[in-house]
Amino acid sequence: MGDFKLTTVEEFEAATERLLETGKKVGADAWQYRVKNQTPHCKFGEQGICCRICSMGPCRITPKAPRGICGCDVHGIVARNYLKFTAGGAATHSDHGREICHTLYCTDPNGAYKVKDPEKLIRIAKEWGVETEGKDIYDLAHEMALKALEEYGKPFGNQNFIKRTPQHTQDLWKAQEVAPRAIDREVSSSLHMTHMGCSSKPEALIRQSLRVGLADGWGGSMAGTEFSDVLFGTPKPIDTEANLGVMNAENVNIVVHGHDPSLSEMVCEYADDPEMIAYAKEMGAKGITVSGVCCTSNEVAMRRGIPMAGNFLQQENVVLTGACEAIVVDVQCIFPALGPLSKCFHTKFITTSPIAQMPDSEFIQFSPENADENAKAIVKLAIENFKNRKPELVHIPDMKQKATVGYSLEAIVKVLDGVTNSQVDTLGTTKPLIECITSGVLRGAVAMVGCNNPKVRPDTAHIELMKKLIANDIIVVASGCSAQAAAKAGLMDKRAKDLCGAGLKRVCELADIPPVLHMGSCVDISRMMNLVAELAKDSGLNISQLPVVGCAPEWMSEKAVSIGNYVVATGIDTFLGVDPYVSGSSEVAELLTGGIRDWVEAAYTVETDIEKLVDKMIDRIEEKRAAIGI
Amino acid sequence: MTLFDIAFSGNDTVYGLTEGAIDAAIAQYGADKAIAFPDTAYSLPCYYGVTGTKVGNLGELKEALGVVKTLMTREKRLNDVFMSGVATALCAEFLEVLKYIDGATPYEAPCYGHLGDATIRELGVPLVTGDIPGVAVILGAAPSAEEGVALVKSYQAQGILVTLVGGIIDQCEELGYKTGANVRVIPLGKDVTSVIHVVSVAVRAALIFGNIKGGDAAGLMEYTFKRVPAFVNAFSPLDPVIVACGAGAIALGFPVITNETSFPNISVPKSLIVQPDVSKFNATSLEARDIKIKITNIDIPVAFASAFEGEIIRRGDMQVEFDGSRVDCFELVTTKDVTEVEDHKIELIGPDIDEFEVGSKHSIAYVVEVAGKSMQSDFEPVFERKFHSYLNCVEGMMHTGQRDMIRIRISKDTFNAGFRAKHIGEVLYAKVKSEFAAVVDKCQVKIYTDAEQCTKLRHELAIPSFDKRDERLNTLTDEGVDVYYSCIMCQAFSPSHVCVVTPERLGLCGAVSWLDAKATNELDPQGPCQVITKEKVIDERIGEYEDVNEAVRKFSQGALEDVSLYSIIEKPMTSCGCFECICGIEPLSNGVCIANREYAGMTPIGMTFPELASMTGGGVQTPGFMGHGKHFIASKKFMKAEGGVARIVWMPKDLKEQVAERLNATAKEMYDIDNFTDMIGDETVAEDPETLLAFLEEKGHPALSMEPMM
Repeated sequence: MGDFKLTTVEEFEAATERLLETGKKVGADAWQYRVKNQTPHCKFGEQGICCRICSMGPCRITPKAPRGICGCDVHGIVARNYLKFTAGGAATHSDHGREICHTLYCTDPNGAYKVKDPEKLIRIAKEWGVETEGKDIYDLAHEMALKALEEYGKPFGNQNFIKRTPQHTQDLWKAQEVAPRAIDREVSSSLHMTHMGCSSKPEALIRQSLRVGLADGWGGSMAGTEFSDVLFGTPKPIDTEANLGVMNAENVNIVVHGHDPSLSEMVCEYADDPEMIAYAKEMGAKGITVSGVCCTSNEVAMRRGIPMAGNFLQQENVVLTGACEAIVVDVQCIFPALGPLSKCFHTKFITTSPIAQMPDSEFIQFSPENADENAKAIVKLAIENFKNRKPELVHIPDMKQKATVGYSLEAIVKVLDGVTNSQVDTLGTTKPLIECITSGVLRGAVAMVGCNNPKVRPDTAHIELMKKLIANDIIVVASGCSAQAAAKAGLMDKRAKDLCGAGLKRVCELADIPPVLHMGSCVDISRMMNLVAELAKDSGLNISQLPVVGCAPEWMSEKAVSIGNYVVATGIDTFLGVDPYVSGSSEVAELLTGGIRDWVEAAYTVETDIEKLVDKMIDRIEEKRAAIGI
Repeated sequence: MTLFDIAFSGNDTVYGLTEGAIDAAIAQYGADKAIAFPDTAYSLPCYYGVTGTKVGNLGELKEALGVVKTLMTREKRLNDVFMSGVATALCAEFLEVLKYIDGATPYEAPCYGHLGDATIRELGVPLVTGDIPGVAVILGAAPSAEEGVALVKSYQAQGILVTLVGGIIDQCEELGYKTGANVRVIPLGKDVTSVIHVVSVAVRAALIFGNIKGGDAAGLMEYTFKRVPAFVNAFSPLDPVIVACGAGAIALGFPVITNETSFPNISVPKSLIVQPDVSKFNATSLEARDIKIKITNIDIPVAFASAFEGEIIRRGDMQVEFDGSRVDCFELVTTKDVTEVEDHKIELIGPDIDEFEVGSKHSIAYVVEVAGKSMQSDFEPVFERKFHSYLNCVEGMMHTGQRDMIRIRISKDTFNAGFRAKHIGEVLYAKVKSEFAAVVDKCQVKIYTDAEQCTKLRHELAIPSFDKRDERLNTLTDEGVDVYYSCIMCQAFSPSHVCVVTPERLGLCGAVSWLDAKATNELDPQGPCQVITKEKVIDERIGEYEDVNEAVRKFSQGALEDVSLYSIIEKPMTSCGCFECICGIEPLSNGVCIANREYAGMTPIGMTFPELASMTGGGVQTPGFMGHGKHFIASKKFMKAEGGVARIVWMPKDLKEQVAERLNATAKEMYDIDNFTDMIGDETVAEDPETLLAFLEEKGHPALSMEPMM
């Protein structure tokens, strides 16, 4: 095992403490303080029993006041809030996907955006029944972009991508009326249903939550993932590093943050430009280091090996290092706090999307048409800001781990091809993984996803769950901030195989993979959906029969609830470490944790005790194994 | 039943049998009854490897069984299955050792049963060089004897060492297929438990070459997984016991390939592969274990593989013989100008083999003429020494000796398959061209069977060449050259071992001389043999150089700090484990005893070769013990720091005879002693230190009056 050792949460926290000291010197605020100010949280809000969708209220449900002014009971209110929450997430992911489709439409062999994976484009085109023979790849890209954009508003029919699921799933969705129609329609219908005086029946509202979730997972998110691959390349295994130590005190540090790779890809491109590097040297730096936070970081790490400075609750830390020349953001999960915080340092806080505009930021609007010049301008701005650094405030925690990332479905299948035997196997399937599972060498798989949330000691749940899962021969696929937690801890270092049970260890050695596989950003949970669909088709089992579960132990955003809904609706039991504001309604809670199983063969488990959460997942996996006799 | 359940139940069955057998043995012989496998320093090797505890009698065996029971946990995790597999293997070892009680010889030809430590040490070199690219374990009976033998033959033709357990042994006998260690097809035994004898080889390889300490089960399993290229072919029907054994094999990293199709869900990629078609076992297995076969296409009508290297051709099977001890024969490599050589020209001067009477004896000489820009005449003997191995690899051809003392037999079967004199040329041409491609641009072969020509060329061409070379070798001293060479060929097995090869100190395996190393370096400058300068002397007496130390540190990845070239007490050179000989201090007589690998008896040190060998190896320095090549014994640099060859007080008789001429010459030159070997004891004189001392005193052995060694 040599000198390999995981980094502990205690070490993360000690590093953060040291940064907060710097913060104090300059009078900086931080989420740690704001959490204190906000605690205790509003009980009505927490239970989801506050309704303010019309101006007769707000109404709050108590034993003495069991119904709102319109007469809606607690179950209707909780379910409505839940659907609105989901619709918010689905809209967000899907709009990100839409941006990517637009970018695809703007591709040009001589422009800033090109088609980097034409094979994948052709594959999807064929899947969608689009003629590819003899067509210029850019013509095809534009045609497919339009086709993809139609998925948002098509008047009839369902999402194209659902044909990727096994027939059983498609039949089930049809019978249960959850098969997703046009993406925008599902979002609009959700908001329509939750308007004053529409639905108040929990079953109807929860059913629509699943449907709008599916429009995200098998619609908007999947478009985001698939066409990002076409544009920027399909990820394959690549080595990188994670945690704040990836920032370099001698270099110009540019941190990209957000979710949409269109911006960060361009920034990376220009930061690599010899002209820019020369300019940085002229300005007294040794070079340029681009690192990332949140899912934009995942995107560029998967495709370029750009190091990951941290996940969601570390976004303020990168500024607190005093060595961040610019934090460049696109959309989603960006703390408005970054504005005031950047003012305490020399850091430039640059917003780029009309979707995410914030006070105390420099707004450089980014679009496919001006991408190259604006990216260049941003890099230049950061370089020129190097001289404004206050050396006495610079402290970068010496803490990072190696990680091998880039496990797209295509990459996983390739890895699996590597352990086949050409005398008995065929290539290009998930069968080797199925064999590992059916033989018992691996007990199953867990998809670990989601954010950080101060309600859970940040990263602890992700890391502790993964450690116990891999020790029990359960392979973990991770995305989003969960993946970054794993990378920071060292769980994506191939040497982490030594922390696994004998079965997973052997698999890691033979396949040359780390035990926790980085599958991408949060829109890339669509990759996980494709993976389970392939596993089901290759094994002849239903998705719900696979010994696979999902888990979001530290989730916080609306997107996460949307994800949860499509994961469950796809047939995968999902385990949450934070309650989705439904505890106020026994009916809704019962539906989500039990009733929906009759519709989609899977349901939620909410468990805030992390130790119990992992045991429940392991038990569920073993139950699923027993049920199919493996 | 799941795969795990099957393995668990097989393990339980074997455990029950073992417990019964041990109890019965104790009832019969008592708990104090000694038990051991013959010719091993690690008894019981597998149990020792896993636990670090040696077992010497039945009582201890019973205790050991208690330890085995603790491995048999029943969680539904692969670790539990692996450990149950290991437990099954250990039970098999216990059952097998019971067969050896009272020095019994439970295995009769063709079966071998337990294999001694010396066998493993012999396998070291061919395994690292890839001459043995893998080890196959075939278990059970093939669907038909023909298919079984075809499978065995397919591995043999690739040079893979084949071990057989159970019905396949009968199938080979049924078809009269030749088996035996010399053709690398080793029937172990007919009970499934005899499979432990090959597992035991793998475990001891880790202990001997890998410096794995007994008890380091994880290290042991990692070693076998990464470094022992073995795999299992298990024929249907599989029962739970075989599945449990298979789990043990997979735990050690050996994939199992089976044609058993009746169990659902047992396939595991690269580990447990169901291949219904037995004719594809070979390809499936090699791919599963990532074994690459070096293919040299040689245009001859019979097989060419290292498995045939040890094949013996008896007089009755012989078509024709060439015998250098009776008539003029020789083999020679000479360097020519590029214009003088026509590539791949093979010329026969004299009658062909079909013109000779069956069973007759003749002269032969073959001259391999090579040319190339980087060719040096120093490489001639390097190539030439390989001829022995090249020609032996031909199925049905036996070659012994070298230079003008060669003997060759060609079998009737091989002759009948169409083998003729020119095919000798084809073999030599193909091998020299492929193995020495970097220095040989062109190569032609002349084969003489004309007796007159043979006599003439022997005296006019060969002998003068040999004399010239000997002269060159005699002037080749450690002081006379500017550089030495590292040799890390063995690091595939012994990750921290480094040999420093000098003109007077060849590699301890006996296979790599300074000239060999030089040629190897020339062929592949980044390869296993690299130049080591010797400019910064630290201590001339023990032969320590700063540059040598630096190189050793680098090539051992920091595992070794300093080495001396000429001392066995101070910073001695390490051993990988495949050494030809080992010497160790014998304190009473103030000298050293040397034992060679072939010697099976006791030495005055109180240890056998396997026991002495187990003191060192694995790339670790062990002052007082050192592995070395036979050739080094007569070197003036042998133990130079401690006074040289005069320290040698004992050697097995056979070894003494092999080195006598050169050793006596060295002693004469260094100390002016005549017939020094007469002063050295052997097993006919003494196997204990007291008798040896008396003998040495009587002979006036110089070691007795030398300074104390320690």
